[in-house]
Amino acid sequence: MRFTDLAEKIIGDKRRWRAYKARAKALPEPYRTAVAAIEKYMMNAAIVSNDADVLSQMFEDLADLFEQAAADKTPVHDIVGDDPVEFVETFSANYADGNWKAKAESRLRDTFTYLHSPDAADGDPS
Amino acid sequence: MGKQITEMLKGTLEGIVLAILATAPAYGYEITARLRDQGFTDIAEGTVYALLVRIEKRGLVDVTKVPSEQGPPRKVYSLNAEGHVQLDEFWETWGFLATRIAQLQHTAAPRQEGH
Repeated sequence: MRFTDLAEKIIGDKRRWRAYKARAKALPEPYRTAVAAIEKYMMNAAIVSNDADVLSQMFEDLADLFEQAAADKTPVHDIVGDDPVEFVETFSANYADGNWKAKAESRLRDTFTYLHSPDAADGDPS
Repeated sequence: MGKQITEMLKGTLEGIVLAILATAPAYGYEITARLRDQGFTDIAEGTVYALLVRIEKRGLVDVTKVPSEQGPPRKVYSLNAEGHVQLDEFWETWGFLATRIAQLQHTAAPRQEGH
């Protein structure tokens, strides 16, 4: 990747990230606190993607959901349900590409695909 | 019900949402409202939204943005040809599962009729 492409990609993504942050900050309470808490949990639990586009898309969709909810005055509980952790799991599963957990899962699957294959008898997986 | 229905719904919610969309296009809140009307009172709007994001990614629905009187435009989802194929598969799977479970229910000795 040429330097300019790289720079463009990073700057572009930063713009998307800043735009999301501005939207999240502009939400009325209690939606703002809800989104901030979900964002923090996603970061801490390492369920965010390393792919900047996927990551931006996830947070943009999150902002869409809560902006709509704020406009409709839907209570936070009706959006998230009884268990916010379960909500985040369901939500973030759509954006798993490249995240730490998805990578670990695919390594595990690859190893067992290898073990189930006829080659497995011949040597080590690499 | 409670916890158990939440667990059971996890695997079937996609099919239920596809079935709702097969009758008419809808946006997220309408789908949640229809589910609640039908007795799924505990369903979270965010769960339905996440599911809609997933079926959109898998190309089962077409999406149009419709301006709303309040707030941002709403994404209206309609079932496309791929979605109809997926829905047919869901009903087939559901039929299989329902038949087998009913058989189990009838072959297992009902406790209340014991001596």
